[in-house]
Amino acid sequence: MKTHIIKYIAVAFLFLLAPRFVFSQCRISGTVKNNNGEAIPFASILLKATGEGVKTDTTGTFNLSTNAKGKQLLLVTSVGYKSFRKEIALADSSIYLDIVLLQSDAQSLHEVIISAGSFEASDKAKGASLTAIDAFTVAGSNADVALALRSLPGSQQIGEADGLFVRGGTGDETKQFIDGTLVKNPNYPAVPGLQQYARVNPILFNGILFSTGGYSALYGQAMSSALILESVDLPAKSSAYFSVFTANLGAGIQELAKNKKSSYGVTLRYSNQAWYNSIISQRINYFSGPEYLEGDANFRIKTGKTGMLKFYTNWNTSNVGMRNPDIDSAALRSTYQVKGMNSYNNLSYRDYLNDDWKLEAGVAYSYSRINTIQNLTDADGQTINLPNYPFNEKNNHRIINNDFAQARLVFTLMFPHNQALRFGAEHFYSHDHGISNDSTIALTDNLTAAFAEGDIYLANNLAVKVGVRTEHSSLLNKWVIAPRASLAYRLNDGGQFNFAYGIFYQEPQNDFLYQTTDLNFSSATHYVLNYTKKAHNRFFRIEAYYKQYKDLIKTEPVISNDGKGYARGIELFFRDKKTFKNLDYWISYTYLNTKRDFLDYPGEIQPNFATPHTATVAIKKNLQDINTYVNISYAFATGRPYYDIRYDNASNASRIYDQGTTKNYSVLNLQVAHLMSLFKSWKQKPFSGFSVGVNNLLGTNPLFGYNYSANGDIKMPLTLPARRYYYAGFFMSFGINRTSDILDNNNN
Amino acid sequence: MKKLVISGLAILMCCLSALAQQTNLQNAVTKLDKARTVKDYAAMEQEFAKIAASQPKDWLPNYYAAYCNARIGFLLQDDGESIEPYSNRGETQAKKAESLLDKVNQKKELAEVYTVMSMINQSKVFINMMTYGPKYGPLAQQYLNQAKQLNPDNPRTIYLAAWFKYNTPKMWGGDKDLAKQLATQSLKMLENTDTGINPHWGKTEDQELLSKYK
Repeated sequence: MKTHIIKYIAVAFLFLLAPRFVFSQCRISGTVKNNNGEAIPFASILLKATGEGVKTDTTGTFNLSTNAKGKQLLLVTSVGYKSFRKEIALADSSIYLDIVLLQSDAQSLHEVIISAGSFEASDKAKGASLTAIDAFTVAGSNADVALALRSLPGSQQIGEADGLFVRGGTGDETKQFIDGTLVKNPNYPAVPGLQQYARVNPILFNGILFSTGGYSALYGQAMSSALILESVDLPAKSSAYFSVFTANLGAGIQELAKNKKSSYGVTLRYSNQAWYNSIISQRINYFSGPEYLEGDANFRIKTGKTGMLKFYTNWNTSNVGMRNPDIDSAALRSTYQVKGMNSYNNLSYRDYLNDDWKLEAGVAYSYSRINTIQNLTDADGQTINLPNYPFNEKNNHRIINNDFAQARLVFTLMFPHNQALRFGAEHFYSHDHGISNDSTIALTDNLTAAFAEGDIYLANNLAVKVGVRTEHSSLLNKWVIAPRASLAYRLNDGGQFNFAYGIFYQEPQNDFLYQTTDLNFSSATHYVLNYTKKAHNRFFRIEAYYKQYKDLIKTEPVISNDGKGYARGIELFFRDKKTFKNLDYWISYTYLNTKRDFLDYPGEIQPNFATPHTATVAIKKNLQDINTYVNISYAFATGRPYYDIRYDNASNASRIYDQGTTKNYSVLNLQVAHLMSLFKSWKQKPFSGFSVGVNNLLGTNPLFGYNYSANGDIKMPLTLPARRYYYAGFFMSFGINRTSDILDNNNN
Repeated sequence: MKKLVISGLAILMCCLSALAQQTNLQNAVTKLDKARTVKDYAAMEQEFAKIAASQPKDWLPNYYAAYCNARIGFLLQDDGESIEPYSNRGETQAKKAESLLDKVNQKKELAEVYTVMSMINQSKVFINMMTYGPKYGPLAQQYLNQAKQLNPDNPRTIYLAAWFKYNTPKMWGGDKDLAKQLATQSLKMLENTDTGINPHWGKTEDQELLSKYK
């Protein structure tokens, strides 16, 4: 026993001294084999710090003697294999290693990546996978991410409201995230019956994950869909651009530091539709705007070898005022004006703490102020107050200020073979204060969430992702636990089956919480089954899902969580970049069967934002010889139901007084862009071009539904503000070719 | 005496095996001259990779293996992601070939390797123009320029320059007339090359390019 102790002490002593005194050489020996157990000859073994190295012999064995001591990085490389690195502790003894090298591409190429329920568009795209620019440059998308993604399966062709209506969900059930943090107000303040655009400039992003179901435990508070945006790290070069379009002006710079370790950028955009509307007559009579001013700025700093610190700030104002005949009295006018101001700020940091640990942190702060004025006026614009219903509810003024802050921390522990464990927590603070007519509004919510998720590879062709998320809302004073799971199974021909399951909770909208906080989270449970195959510049995807809604908000007879519903459907997507030279097209088909009982619905009915069949086509043609791009998108959808739902005093319940189905929706958008070289003699030749386009080229008159008068006698169609929307403009960029940001650049 | 016989035999064995290896390479190169399809080149790549493993000091087997992968990349240019494994393998092989060359005394050989390296980077651009183009397009140009500098009279470098001139839109510096001129020049230079183990490919490629003018 005693001798043992002495031995231990001696060993410990030697170990302590080892780094300081060199008493002899250390011998590292071993074998290098591939994963079939075959020896790899001529593989090189290198001690990184000292540069000492040997090669394996024909039997794959090696012998390396070194004077180096302490922790050393050993690097093993061989042609056709992934390099292998290992930290070894060298002491005064010999080390024996059995090293297995993985074949380089055979392995990485056939990796299974879980993809049920989501479309990824990123700068890592290969073949016919989508890139962010592919998605943004769909004709008619007006530089709005949400509009662009309507050409993918899963979303409805909604023209009278903002946001993405995904798989039987409302626009409010889709949330956008930038570098992990929530974008509280992605669109300009809502105007009834008119679509408002996104505040965020899409060219800042090089990765989009559009999840239409079953998304990761890292995200929450979106019952239907998550739109996860990743901003560009450092730009490749410094650049500047400006553009002049019919109703928009834009300019920006992006400056990359000389040492290529940091960058900053500023862009400014102004849009005013008034001039355009004075030429192309609109169905709606505007007395103010629509006018939008937005600016954003960013900086990005590379910290250390692997760290990245990014800051993004976006500031904007909007003003839309319209005056139209009042639906309840042809002699009177109804005015609606909304002035918005919004600022979104996001600071994010990510770094590898060492070879195994990765850290991602983010803080966001946003402020919004929405000032809504609603008036009933006479033909001269004088406000009129009438005592009886419905006119007594037509003069309103509301100012809502919202402060929103979020902090988020995610750790990733990486394991061999791309396995990983992610966990973290986030906190959302939201404070609303303002006035609604004579009453004041104040609402504060603290939502805390913690989550963990593991990527596990059960076999070479079978991967699972298991996660759980828990959320607590101080306002609702409730805890919820949301399990998530997905699985991917790869076939030998490159096809892949995916399955996803998850529960997704969402707090009721503030409009309901102003009235009562005695509510619960609403929830949706998703089941998604999908098959994808990507090969030879073609991409095919088919997905089926079932979704169950619980605890949706009902407003009648009293505000409660008694609503429920379901959605199920099948979606197809096919993209082909191969068949026709320089022509890229994709087609999508969406089948949706959904019913829900929520808000004032008298029971489970098909909601007015859902139609069974939707099909879209996006075509991008590059006429290389004349430097011209033709961009076409087409969407077809069957009619949507519309209802006149009112409270029936006799039966003390909601009742459908009138209903029907709109005609089919069919809209074709066209964009043609031409690139030119101007100022060839300049040292930095700018890239210039012009772009012209028409949305709804065929001039169909899509009907989205009806607005009903209070007594139900009059119904006014909800349609586009004008049959067609035309635009034309010129752009010029300096430094780098940024034409691809404006259109799909398919050439060399 | 016995020792002498044994060492003599040993030397003979060595020479024979070296000779056998040379013949292996020559046979493979002769076969490569007849390769036309992706399948042909894939089979040849395997053969060259095997020879490379047994002749770790010779740059040629790695160079040829890399060339096969580059050719596959060009033949599959409309196939997107299918190209990636070939590009990756070709890149490692080309880098290996480069490392086996003396940078000062083997400039012509380096020019051959850089030409293939340029093709390999261009094959990556085919994977996805928008995501791989901005990074690998300029790299392909860079390697081509390096190859031109080391040896302006290499018909394979001239062929590749012709290919780029043909396939780049006019606005970005493309020139179809110049491409034709370069390809014709390259083809002429290749008329009387021997068919030994040294790089002599290019005829097929030049003809392929020139056939687009008819």
